[in-house]
Amino acid sequence: MNKFIQARQPRYFNQLPESFKLSGSSRLSGSLKYCLYFFGIFAFAFGLGACATYYQSHFDFNNEFEHGDLGKALETLKKRKSEGDGRTRFLYDVNKGLVLSILGEYEESNEYFEKAFLFGEDYRINYVAEATSYFSNPTVAAYRGEDHEHLMVLYFKAINYLKMNMPEEALVECRRLNIRLNQLNDKYVSLEKFQRDAFIHTLMGIIYQSGKDYNNAFIAYRNAVDVYENEYAKMFGMQVPQQLKIDLLNTAKWTGFQDEFESFKAKFKMYDFKESKQDADLIFFWHNGLGPVKDEWSINFLIHTGNDNTMVFTNPELGLNFPFVVTESKDRADLAKLEVFRVAFPRYRERELYFNSAYLRLDSNKYSLQLGEDINKVAFHSLNQRMLQEFAKGLLRAALKKAAEHSIRKEDERLGALIGLVNAITEKADTRNWQTLPHSIFYSRVPLKEGANPVTFTIQSNNQRNIDYNFTYTAKKGQTLFHTFSSLETMTGPYRYY
Amino acid sequence: MKSIFWITGVVFCISCQTHSVTRVNPETQIDLSGRWNDSDSRMVADKMITDLFASERFKAYAKENGKKPTLIVGLIKNKTTEHIDASNYIKKFELAIYNSNVADLVESDEFRDKLRQERAEQQDFADPATVAQWGKETGADLMLFGEMSSETDTNNNRRVVNYITTLFLTDVETNKRVWYGQHEIKKLVKN
Repeated sequence: MNKFIQARQPRYFNQLPESFKLSGSSRLSGSLKYCLYFFGIFAFAFGLGACATYYQSHFDFNNEFEHGDLGKALETLKKRKSEGDGRTRFLYDVNKGLVLSILGEYEESNEYFEKAFLFGEDYRINYVAEATSYFSNPTVAAYRGEDHEHLMVLYFKAINYLKMNMPEEALVECRRLNIRLNQLNDKYVSLEKFQRDAFIHTLMGIIYQSGKDYNNAFIAYRNAVDVYENEYAKMFGMQVPQQLKIDLLNTAKWTGFQDEFESFKAKFKMYDFKESKQDADLIFFWHNGLGPVKDEWSINFLIHTGNDNTMVFTNPELGLNFPFVVTESKDRADLAKLEVFRVAFPRYRERELYFNSAYLRLDSNKYSLQLGEDINKVAFHSLNQRMLQEFAKGLLRAALKKAAEHSIRKEDERLGALIGLVNAITEKADTRNWQTLPHSIFYSRVPLKEGANPVTFTIQSNNQRNIDYNFTYTAKKGQTLFHTFSSLETMTGPYRYY
Repeated sequence: MKSIFWITGVVFCISCQTHSVTRVNPETQIDLSGRWNDSDSRMVADKMITDLFASERFKAYAKENGKKPTLIVGLIKNKTTEHIDASNYIKKFELAIYNSNVADLVESDEFRDKLRQERAEQQDFADPATVAQWGKETGADLMLFGEMSSETDTNNNRRVVNYITTLFLTDVETNKRVWYGQHEIKKLVKN
């Protein structure tokens, strides 16, 4: 982290919009003083209840979920119904949707995922809350959801529909995913950002293939291969899943794209590959472990006068230097008097995997589960990529709060002291994220015969302990069956499976 | 400090902005992302319809056939990197043919199976006087095929995409191509 920050540290603050520059007089009118006084009391009250991280403030639910007590976890969510209309409504809806999905309540689950989807679609910045967040902390604004979280909403929704044997509805989610992927692609210019999701392209291919739309499946698989090779390999050290190569070749052949079939065979060095159609298919998704939890870390900064009209925030231990434009000399002098202050930033904490591999067995054939998405790495990467933005926001917040405190102190020492206390209490990072997501998603396609197919699913832990689960899948000709298996175990505790 | 409150004031004003929806003429060309959109579908449909109606070979085929040709829509392959629903412009194309009366249309396999299922059920459940008869389907003379492909070139924040749509009508009996239409749409997108 230190290296990363040092390598990129000087740029963002120089690019702050004009409106973020501090300027002007520090004199306050009487009415404004009292406004601030009331604001201080409000913030104090708010701060008292808000010093825990999001995970800690929802520990009862998290504990129940992590221990596999899903019934209790659902009850706990129901007791917190008011959150469904609050600033964390997105998290409330996705948590409820996910718990209901694991419990097999697919229809109700999708009602909540739909709410979460619509929240993402209709989200408008509440500028009042955003402005307030600069005088307190980012949690006073609504949680918008990370890019990958919005994609995962549609992943779960589509899978729920497929499990309910509603392929047309799943295709609607597929089209929505396509729009979301396009939006994500347009959102960032830098190729280093997470702007294309290989697993979601793969999922789209799987859904199209299950609906016998081999042409669209081929396009989705080809896009997925492109992302795995050019972005996931570099960002996350991932390879193209073997199953994806097979599916791409099959759909190329079935669409009649002979040239593409031959060229991909050569590219994958699968010279002997022969396309094959089975009676039916099983698509098995393994949700392994739990995704990362956002935590908080804070840095103490010193402030001193820089060149021209800049103030510089420094942390000598970490080698951080952030220049900050302050146009008024009086304000620069005021800020220069400020001593050390603390700024809180978010960071992810990984919940390490307990199981590291799995495979399926049907008759004498073995099908290994292949890594499609490492949500943990996606989350870490996304936050790292916008860390400068987080620094900028955190420092601006700290500067505004400190400047306000200092100005009020000159007018009224006691009120200033109160504001200082409130500032210290309310300073916190935004630690909200979707914490019930799996750590990683693995998948495999198993060819089934018409009728009953006994399949054994074996998961292997880090200490080479094998656990077997037996399932029987009854398939009709041409059918694709979908199954998800969630292992909630992490290295931090023994939990259950669903 | 004054600026802090000024910023807050501005922000309060901005927060009054609301979500709005405006209905626009469907013919209006609106390009947002640069990807394939409704305007492209419309352009392809218009160009193909004009090409077909102006085609001397198609007119000669219809004359030689001695009756209005019957047409069926076959496979439109999509080789682009985008999920493009070809039916958006194919339906426009079909509608123009249907309204112009230059050819008859028969259902493609997607709906044909449904019709046959309905006909089968009529044999058991419908009044015999109203039952649809087997073996009365109209055979198609021509089948419409097509292919969409794209070539993309990117450099920094600029992207050039050339979409090529090719449609052709083939004689079901002889495999001879009766009509050939192609339309290219080239887009330069700057991010």
